[in-house]
Amino acid sequence: MDGLMSRISRNMHKYMAIPAVLLFSVFFLYPLARGIGLSLTDWDGIKDPNFVGIQNFIDFFKDKRARNDIMITVLFALGSAPLLNIFGFIYALILDGKFRGNGVNRAIVYMPAIISPLIMGYIWYFILQPERGYLFHLLKKAGLEYMLGNWLADYKAALLVLILVNVWQYAGMTMIIYLAGLQSISLDIYEVSRIDGAGYFSRLFYITVPLLIPSIIINVVTNIIGSLSVFDVIMALTEGGPGYSTESLGIYIMRMCYGSNTGYSTAVAIILFFIILLPVAAFMGLMKSKEVETI
Amino acid sequence: MKKFNAARIGKYFSATLISLLALVPFYVVVLFSLNTPARIFYEGNILLPDFHFHNYLDAWKSSKIGIAMVNSIIIAGGALAVVVFFASSAGYTIARFKSRFNSIVFSIFLMSMMIPGIINTVPLYILIKSIGGINHLWAMILVCATLALPFSVFLYTGFIKSLSREIEESAIIDGCSWFSAFWRVTFHFLKPVTAAVIIINGLSVWNNYAQAVFFLPNQKAHTIPLALSVFFQQFAGAKWNLLAAAAVTGVFPVVLAFLVFQKSFMKGITAGALKG
Repeated sequence: MDGLMSRISRNMHKYMAIPAVLLFSVFFLYPLARGIGLSLTDWDGIKDPNFVGIQNFIDFFKDKRARNDIMITVLFALGSAPLLNIFGFIYALILDGKFRGNGVNRAIVYMPAIISPLIMGYIWYFILQPERGYLFHLLKKAGLEYMLGNWLADYKAALLVLILVNVWQYAGMTMIIYLAGLQSISLDIYEVSRIDGAGYFSRLFYITVPLLIPSIIINVVTNIIGSLSVFDVIMALTEGGPGYSTESLGIYIMRMCYGSNTGYSTAVAIILFFIILLPVAAFMGLMKSKEVETI
Repeated sequence: MKKFNAARIGKYFSATLISLLALVPFYVVVLFSLNTPARIFYEGNILLPDFHFHNYLDAWKSSKIGIAMVNSIIIAGGALAVVVFFASSAGYTIARFKSRFNSIVFSIFLMSMMIPGIINTVPLYILIKSIGGINHLWAMILVCATLALPFSVFLYTGFIKSLSREIEESAIIDGCSWFSAFWRVTFHFLKPVTAAVIIINGLSVWNNYAQAVFFLPNQKAHTIPLALSVFFQQFAGAKWNLLAAAAVTGVFPVVLAFLVFQKSFMKGITAGALKG
């Protein structure tokens, strides 16, 4: 008995992943597998589920609302991811280097990203509401209040507002990553290129951007995953409305689950998973080949 | 020299501009939170509030934000404790002891980093319901810890690999087992990565809404984002002063923590993101 105990304690270090593995298996891998199983059933959350094959997936692509939600989700990502990277990059260029107060500036620009996107959404509601919001009063002082529309209730404008709020909140996050990337570039390279007569913009596009590819990968992948699974900011500002004009797949999953379409909602989750996986895999493949070329 | 100055002024100017842009919504919510209910901006100044601090008392009383804050603290504290202990010990064995099991575990965690929580929320909801965890903080602690696990294991593994094996070996010579060498020696070297894990996951647990809305439907179990969403729906359109005061109260702890630990926040986020 004593021998066994000491053998266990001597070998304990080999099994230290087991608590993490157990937790992860129970609360992540098992539900994931269960979800795949349930996606092939008509389960409503109460009665016994019946196997229906890929019927849920067929229903999904036949449903006009579901197809609309794919489009909304993809449009949100197509708007958010590039803008987040463009603004994050420009912000990083502005706040790069050592000058007085730039540590404070960086912290301030990053600050929106630490707030719950739900609460941030509510704060933007205070700004954007027609007749009562802060922007309305501000414009009224200038006699320009006619410029402010009821954007959050507008079928076309609402999605754009959500994208801009999202970009405003997380531009500081992408900036931080570009800043770290910029600081890892050796100044000698710039020095040499300056001697060779390269101007600011040619240095930017031929030296800085290629050397930032690792940062670009991190940012684009994070932004794609984040914006395709968007949930909070929409719940705060439009709850998917007006109509279904800002309903993302994440919100659709929740509505279907609460609407007794449990089996169907797990099928939607699997479809969302592939919608996220495709661009992420494609982008990483593309960037990997570029990285080899430039270095 | 003249050109140099122009560039410098341009940089200061644009740096100030983007800082102001980031601050405007914070300013607006504080402004609204300090206005009297009757305040409209048609006349008078638009920049200064009425300093009506009573809103905060009213908002605290009429919302459930006090309970929510306690719940949020318990969930964040619990989830972070689980993540730090589970992920660091997993990272240690993966980084130090090569085995087929450990490398499979690592690649599963690596792949799972690509899967956002929303994908398996519905089957997870079914599981939590069947074990009686709905509306219980322990269930939310385990859900949040699980979501945070892959990235944290990844961070710890990378960091421990970069540490020299010698730090454990000297403890082993003194008679420690590899297991106790980790807790007695290695763990203390992990402070920078533990800080990153706590900051990054602390924020996402504290701000979590998409999972909380499923697992904590009862008001008594509400976290700050949930309590605020109820408060907002309750007063939709009216009593902006109270809504704003509640919002400021809700974000105050995290903003305060950010301002106090600003340097380690920025460092931790950068370190975490670059490893990822």
